[in-house]
Amino acid sequence: MLKIENLKAGIEGVEILKGVNLSVNSGEVHAIMGPNGSGKSTLASVIAGNECYEVGAGSILFEGEDLLDLDPDQRAHKGVFLSFQYPVEIPGISVSNFIKTAITEKRKVLGLEPISAKDLLSKMREKMELLNIKIGYLSRNMNEGFSGGEKKRNEIFQMAMMKPKLAILDETDSGLDIDALRIVANGVNKLKNKDNATIIITHYQRLLDYIIPDFVHVLHDGRIIKSGGKELAHELEEKGYDWITKEADKKWGC
Amino acid sequence: MGLLENIKEYRESSTIESKNSAAYSKFIELGFPSVKNENWKYTSLKKIISTDFQIEQTGERITEDDIKNSSLSLGEKLVFLNGELYCNPEISGVKIDVFKDENPKYNDAVTALNAALSTNGYSITVEENIIIKEPLEILFLTKNKSNNFIQYRNNIVIKENSNIKIVEQTKNLNNNICFTNMVTTIELKNRATIEFNKLQDNSKSQIIVDHTNINQQKDSNSTINTLLFGGAFTRNNLNFTQYGEHCESNMNGIVILDNNEFGDNHTFMDHLKANCESNELYKGIYLGKSKGVFNGKIMVRPDAQKINAFQANNNLLLSDDSSINSKPQLEIYADDVKCSHGCTVGQLDEGALFYMNTRGISKKDAKAMLTFAFAAEALDKISIPVIYNTAKELISKKLNVDLSF
Repeated sequence: MLKIENLKAGIEGVEILKGVNLSVNSGEVHAIMGPNGSGKSTLASVIAGNECYEVGAGSILFEGEDLLDLDPDQRAHKGVFLSFQYPVEIPGISVSNFIKTAITEKRKVLGLEPISAKDLLSKMREKMELLNIKIGYLSRNMNEGFSGGEKKRNEIFQMAMMKPKLAILDETDSGLDIDALRIVANGVNKLKNKDNATIIITHYQRLLDYIIPDFVHVLHDGRIIKSGGKELAHELEEKGYDWITKEADKKWGC
Repeated sequence: MGLLENIKEYRESSTIESKNSAAYSKFIELGFPSVKNENWKYTSLKKIISTDFQIEQTGERITEDDIKNSSLSLGEKLVFLNGELYCNPEISGVKIDVFKDENPKYNDAVTALNAALSTNGYSITVEENIIIKEPLEILFLTKNKSNNFIQYRNNIVIKENSNIKIVEQTKNLNNNICFTNMVTTIELKNRATIEFNKLQDNSKSQIIVDHTNINQQKDSNSTINTLLFGGAFTRNNLNFTQYGEHCESNMNGIVILDNNEFGDNHTFMDHLKANCESNELYKGIYLGKSKGVFNGKIMVRPDAQKINAFQANNNLLLSDDSSINSKPQLEIYADDVKCSHGCTVGQLDEGALFYMNTRGISKKDAKAMLTFAFAAEALDKISIPVIYNTAKELISKKLNVDLSF
């Protein structure tokens, strides 16, 4: 589904991603872990199409098409979804209005019939129940005055509504208490199926207790320096990142 | 020649009664305000007054269709065609007539000129204990044979416990320039309420200088909504004075200008008495080479304790060549008051645009949604659905976007 090859990207002339290679097949859950400043969020932003980052080399093939040739909204229409580490407050636009607009535009681009207001609302209700969200929340302005946990839940709510093929969860566990974490993880697990894939970007192992990854990758200094199964996450939790990063630094000459 | 000469020539040859000669002398003494005048610092009349205008009304025939096309079809209509009263509705408990100002007041050159030259305008008196549910529509239509300078002087009196809603529009129906100098006084007696909507979707042949003075007695409530969506040059002056306790004054404004349009909103809130409130919210969106000015002054006099005064002016500059000069002014002489003011100038939030983009909302639509959301806060204060919807339509037209959400 997703094939990232030799991806190099940076911001204001500073190279952050120094050649990332990653393959994700449908039905898989990948976790990308790494210390602060390793480039995790940059990778997520570049896949989503943030223009603040300059892409120097490489490609991001998604179902055979290079995402780098597409605008962020076109990538969304193809089925890419980014759950933001810091969701943006949008004053004056309600949650329901926002989601309605997003879904209407996507359906229009894909040549599908517009969804009726009634169907949309019942779908929203269903997904809100899944994430334990109260109904009054739909009329609140997008992320405005939301707590950290509410913002993250709102991200997963949007994901549930958009049904992406590839979901990238950027530090979704940060700012969540243990109950909220369980609800969010449960939501993500329920949305998982054989046709979609999830990339979880996280600093800690915590979320991976609830969403079990098929593959774990360690990102360090802009490169994936180690890949393994879910046991790698446990090893990292136990030993920290040092034992891998030192080895890598030697190899790349840092 | 220029406007000043046109006025002098007209005055010499006309039959206007000499009773307004004091006002005329005052105008001649002061002359048109220049940018050296603090109140006109960013608002230059220079180009306008170097143009020639006809003072006498020489309009072409305005048809029923013209009226229909300009009207919001709210129900009762008060219509002026080429400066003359054309129709005034009969509403029970309301007296509507041509206004003859026996003792015209003025406080600067422009209002003095209005006092000296005006021959027309409306007078509306709402008797005690009358609630008018349907909004009254006031239309000033012109179709001039040449450039025209026109004065209206209006007076509204809302007596005790009465309530009225008004929508006012000034429209020029052809390309000859129409310069309108309008002065409206609104007297609110005890417990009287007014919602006055100024819908200024003006054409590029329109120049407007408007003064609206609102004098409030105790427990009265006034709301003035200014929707400035176009026009070559517009200068609005709103002056509120609270003469009694427990008054509420609200001003809401949305300004959306494009091309070479110019719009200036000057407001003055004078708190004379205690236990009153004022709320002011102006939102400006500037495109193309448009220019805006906002000047909001709040005065809290020594007797005006326990005042809540709020003012905000937020602006979006959506092009490189647009500009806004915003000046909030607070003068407080009482010690137990709550006053706040804020003014912002900015662009659309890039972070929000990207966020919306990643959800599949195109850049163009994301911009439209954010811009509309920015304006909507001031729009929400309009209680008349037709005006709300008309304003929404005009915003979408002006921003060239589909706002079908």
